[in-house]
Amino acid sequence: MIILGSNSEISQAFIEKALEANEKYSTIYLFTSNKETTEKFAKHLDVKFLQQTEVIELDLRSEIDYTKFDYISSDLLFCATGYLGEGTEEGLYDQKNTELIIDINYAKLVPVLTFFAKKMERQRAGTMIVLSSVAGERGRQSNFIYGSAKAGLTAYLSGLRNYMFERKVHVLTIKPGFMDTKMTEGLPLNPKLTATPKQAAEAIYKAYKSGKNVAYILPIWRIIMLIIKNIPEFIFKKLKL
Amino acid sequence: MKPNFIQKVTNWGNFPVVEKEIKSEDSLQKIINFVDNSNEIIARGNGRCYGDASLSEHIFSTKRLNKFISFDRLNGVLECESGVLLSEILQVIVPQGYFLFVTPGTKFITVGGAIASDVHGKNHHAEGCFSEYLISFSLLNENGDVLQCSQTENVEKFWSTIGGMGLTGIILSAKFKLKNIETAYIRQESIKAENLDEIFKLFDESENWTYNVAWIDCLQTGNNIGRSILMRGEHAFRHQLPKNLQDNPLRLKKKLNPTVPFYFPNFLLNNLTVKIFNLLYFNKQRNKEVKSYIDYETFFYPLDAINDWNKIYGKSGFIQYQMVIPKEKGKEGMRKILETIAKSGNGSFLAVLKLFGENNPNAYNSFPVEGYTLALDFKVNAKLKNLVEKLDKIVEEYGGRIYLSKDSMSKSSLTNYLQNVQNPKFVSMQHKRIINNN
Repeated sequence: MIILGSNSEISQAFIEKALEANEKYSTIYLFTSNKETTEKFAKHLDVKFLQQTEVIELDLRSEIDYTKFDYISSDLLFCATGYLGEGTEEGLYDQKNTELIIDINYAKLVPVLTFFAKKMERQRAGTMIVLSSVAGERGRQSNFIYGSAKAGLTAYLSGLRNYMFERKVHVLTIKPGFMDTKMTEGLPLNPKLTATPKQAAEAIYKAYKSGKNVAYILPIWRIIMLIIKNIPEFIFKKLKL
Repeated sequence: MKPNFIQKVTNWGNFPVVEKEIKSEDSLQKIINFVDNSNEIIARGNGRCYGDASLSEHIFSTKRLNKFISFDRLNGVLECESGVLLSEILQVIVPQGYFLFVTPGTKFITVGGAIASDVHGKNHHAEGCFSEYLISFSLLNENGDVLQCSQTENVEKFWSTIGGMGLTGIILSAKFKLKNIETAYIRQESIKAENLDEIFKLFDESENWTYNVAWIDCLQTGNNIGRSILMRGEHAFRHQLPKNLQDNPLRLKKKLNPTVPFYFPNFLLNNLTVKIFNLLYFNKQRNKEVKSYIDYETFFYPLDAINDWNKIYGKSGFIQYQMVIPKEKGKEGMRKILETIAKSGNGSFLAVLKLFGENNPNAYNSFPVEGYTLALDFKVNAKLKNLVEKLDKIVEEYGGRIYLSKDSMSKSSLTNYLQNVQNPKFVSMQHKRIINNN
């Protein structure tokens, strides 16, 4: 299994969920921007599951040397990279913040995903599970840079799924709503709409096993987004969302 | 900077409920920054203490310090971060033929909490507290330094932190010894006692058993006072097990645990329902003595099988009152306490009685001292304060004290026994309450 974004609590919970369900992986390739933290998690997997892992540095903010990853292939990829950035007014007018959000969530990520997709295409088997976001379904004033990058990612995944269908590679798009993770700590999220990494892992694993194309984590988010998407633009533009 | 997140927070007793800042980090640098920038901090694990011990202005939740670090499968030594739950540890070690030397009556506590409370179990008389098997831990202190503490390094901090209720800093990780087991089952004998004299006698007769505990019906009066069931146990050997369990003696079948779906309404739990429950429980066992082989979860963690069982006490919450009375006058003291409870009519499900063994004099902040300990749950209501005052008086008269991990309203003369823990950085609501009332 290949993991992009190995320090994400959702990635980690998903790996543990899969191993607890007795899935077998010869090696789990843990791609990370912070090797030291991921090494700890690798040790944890060794103690808990005697699982073999390899920790590989991948920083989406810098030039990527793909030849270094050429030896890696797997029929399962899980991607939970993401960067929320600052959705505030200062954040909007901070070029660096905007660039970083677009790079990590979309621009620099897509080539990496395509690289591994191509490998799966060659072996004519594989599943790619990629976390996008409900924020990508309609741009809202509070986080539309992030939202637009995730919208791009969602569109990419939809196209990739279509392209790969005949090539026997499956793509699963996950649209988490509010998550109780490090990324959102300190934000006043409604607990009824917020899922824990464990809940997310359960939902994602279930969607993966049942061959779903697009999945939300808490079912309520399907309804919320249906409403948000259907508000006429002349009303929507006046809302404080 | 992200806004501070003030949250409603309460521990297992659902009393008190407060709104405080909760922070949770896994990177050491960020934890140090948090400690530098705040005052009145307390670490909180899984929130299984009953009262206000892990509440403060700024709460550091160890929920993200949840990684295993190493497992020496040959020598039975485990190292993990402080937020790892005992339940997670058991999942890893039991199939490998190991068990925890000391475990309390729930497996849903963290390793950090086990050290800070220096927890005890049904085997205290034989094997002592959690700290007996603790090799070392790392502690983040008030200056932002990480100290390695053991019996040879930072010795003073080692002993003051054990049972120190988090007042010496944040425990980050710990290393401890494990016990060898051949099976995941316990050979149990449960024996009915009609009254207090009988149960005290049974405890004395059972002192060679590793695990001893009694459930006691505290609504009985007169000659029936102390009506109880003693449960004693040993880890079963493989050859002792029934044939069908011998093939896979370290694996338990998965069970589905029911969940209490909502807070029970207040009228549901009253003297009558508790009396009926206690009667049914006592009479479930027909014979005087029953021998059986039961899995470790049923033996050690019967209440863990019902998720969120604390909700049966309703929204106003409950307290657990646990005291110890030194052995010399323990029997007399226990009788007085049980009489007082029965008279008050403030019934408690499943009161638990145990005989502690000698304490480790090095672990001076640990709660247990040699004597009888009784733990009772009481629903929070108008009459409760009065009852606690009465019980506190008896405990004081007999030279006993209260377990800090359960305390939320007892007299401070029974709870101010911690030493070498004063520091302005790490303070809990409980500690403030005790100091201010002194």
